[in-house]
Amino acid sequence: MIALRHITKRFRDGERQVEVLRDLELTVPRGTFTAVVGASGSGKSTLLYVAGALDADYDGEAVVAGKDLKALSARERAAFRNASVGFVFQSFNLLPALPAVENTMLPGLFVPPGSKAPSLGQLRGRALEALDRVGLADKAARLPGRLSGGERQRVAIARALLSRPAVLLADEPTGNLDAVSGEAVIQLFSAMVRDGVTVLVVTHEERVSAAAGQVLHLEEGRLR
Amino acid sequence: MRLRSLVHLATLNLRSDARGTVVNTAAACVGAAALVFFVALGMGVGQAARLMFPGDARLVEVVPGAVSLGAALGGGALDDAAVGRLRELPGVEGAWRRLSLRVPIAASRAPEGVRMNWPVGFTVQVPVVGVDAGLVASDLAPGGKFVDPPAGQAIPVLASRRLLEVYNKTIAPAWNLRRLPPGLDLVGLQIPVQVGFSIIPLKTEDKVYDARLALAGLSDRVPLYSLAVPVETVRRLHVEYGKADAGYSSVVLEVGRPDDVPAVASAVRRMGFAVDEGERAIAERVGLAITVTAGALALLALLMTALAALAIAQSLSASVRGRTRDIAILQSLGATAGDVRALVLAEAGLVGLAGGVVGVGIAWAAARGVDAAAIGLLPDFPFRPTTFFLFPPWIFALGVGVSAAAALLGALAPAALAARVDPARAIS
Repeated sequence: MIALRHITKRFRDGERQVEVLRDLELTVPRGTFTAVVGASGSGKSTLLYVAGALDADYDGEAVVAGKDLKALSARERAAFRNASVGFVFQSFNLLPALPAVENTMLPGLFVPPGSKAPSLGQLRGRALEALDRVGLADKAARLPGRLSGGERQRVAIARALLSRPAVLLADEPTGNLDAVSGEAVIQLFSAMVRDGVTVLVVTHEERVSAAAGQVLHLEEGRLR
Repeated sequence: MRLRSLVHLATLNLRSDARGTVVNTAAACVGAAALVFFVALGMGVGQAARLMFPGDARLVEVVPGAVSLGAALGGGALDDAAVGRLRELPGVEGAWRRLSLRVPIAASRAPEGVRMNWPVGFTVQVPVVGVDAGLVASDLAPGGKFVDPPAGQAIPVLASRRLLEVYNKTIAPAWNLRRLPPGLDLVGLQIPVQVGFSIIPLKTEDKVYDARLALAGLSDRVPLYSLAVPVETVRRLHVEYGKADAGYSSVVLEVGRPDDVPAVASAVRRMGFAVDEGERAIAERVGLAITVTAGALALLALLMTALAALAIAQSLSASVRGRTRDIAILQSLGATAGDVRALVLAEAGLVGLAGGVVGVGIAWAAARGVDAAAIGLLPDFPFRPTTFFLFPPWIFALGVGVSAAAALLGALAPAALAARVDPARAIS
């Protein structure tokens, strides 16, 4: 489901180039929970951005949910992110001015032309269902600032679930959460895997990697 | 991204930055209000001026030349032969004769059919000019005839459309006469007169008799302080009183297109006649002054609109820079660069539309305020307009459209900036 072949990613740091990912190989079978662990700055987030088609500037081949990401145009990559990928970030990345339900609705607003787009009413209904699934239906009208860290992350997961993606990519999803909230998030991921979603989490927390079926270590740009 | 989704998200964004939205809307509003106010003022004053000086751009009034070398060398009297030659000039569609009556006519009784407190012994000298029926045909009342009547019948006359206004605002108050009610249908009004009588000593003719003038219509082609009668009536009276006609007082040429007027005027001068610029020149000068002033004010308003666009551009640029991460989040959720660009433009468009609607409302309210103040402050004078503003429906669209366009123009650079956000870099 996720197949990264010979991925090399370089960044320019002033005059010199830094290789963050070096000839990286990764295979994540469909419907599995894989954790990539590594130290801060090891390139874990970069790996997710490549797999999630947020970054197209790399060498190698990335095939995710059956799409060769290199072959996609910018518009097609956006459509791919909208339909096939759900992102969950350490800092939640909710829009602070929008209530939970509006944040959850966001992916539905970017359905590309040619696809069947739900009405705003239908979209709101689906967002409320997703919030209900993460146990936050009663807090749908709250702004992110009035939710706890765990609740915000659950809103982010509800948003990621809205488009029923094939792949969920999570970047340190429990990094800002207490033990109880972190455990709730891990259980949500496990439930998604049972529903057939492919989950790839980058983390440096053992409690997350302990729940994963496959754990890989990222060191010096390569997975071991 | 679909339009309804775009508008939904743009509205949410504007609501979340209420302060910025209000400031930008106010900027757009000021530009729209100024533009609509000044354009409406220019048109309103222009309309009022046209009522005061109803110059017809297609008419050329030909008068005998100041210096004449005789008909053989051109110029001379405006006789029937000259009228024929003038009618043949290229571009001329009609040549209408005017002949001033040199037999005095005076009115010493109130017109019949209208209640007036005519002072005892009050006599008005009536200046009369004879005109061709063709010149005023379109101003005659339906079924009205403008021909020299048989003896004993009322003589048809036309009055200047502006005379009623001047009478009500100037003559009636000065002489303590009753004003004529607005909307009064004066056509058919009969005025008893004495032909041959003059209020100027020694100017009364040997023969004086009673006659009646019947108002056949109102026309802007009749001189303000004259009554127009058929030119044949004037010629008949001149024969009756032994006044020889050396020619017509003037000939009015009707030119097919206003653009041809200068060429026709030049041709007339080459024939040795003069062109009386008179009211047409005044109307043109007044119209030009109003156009220039209104244009300058509209330009000033456009400048204000441009400044509003700049203010919106600056504000949106700052907003986009402050929302880089939010934009990256939207891109991670499937927004394309085009979606992001459209979102910023939609926010600006909504601000421009709202500012335009409010601005147009403010302009309209300000205009009503100025009109109310003018009524209280300005004295009553002929042709004083009831409003100094003209608000045709398109002016509302202009205000809203220009405001929205200015806001969109100001948003182009910020929108391009937003579309260039690199999501992988901004979201990290």
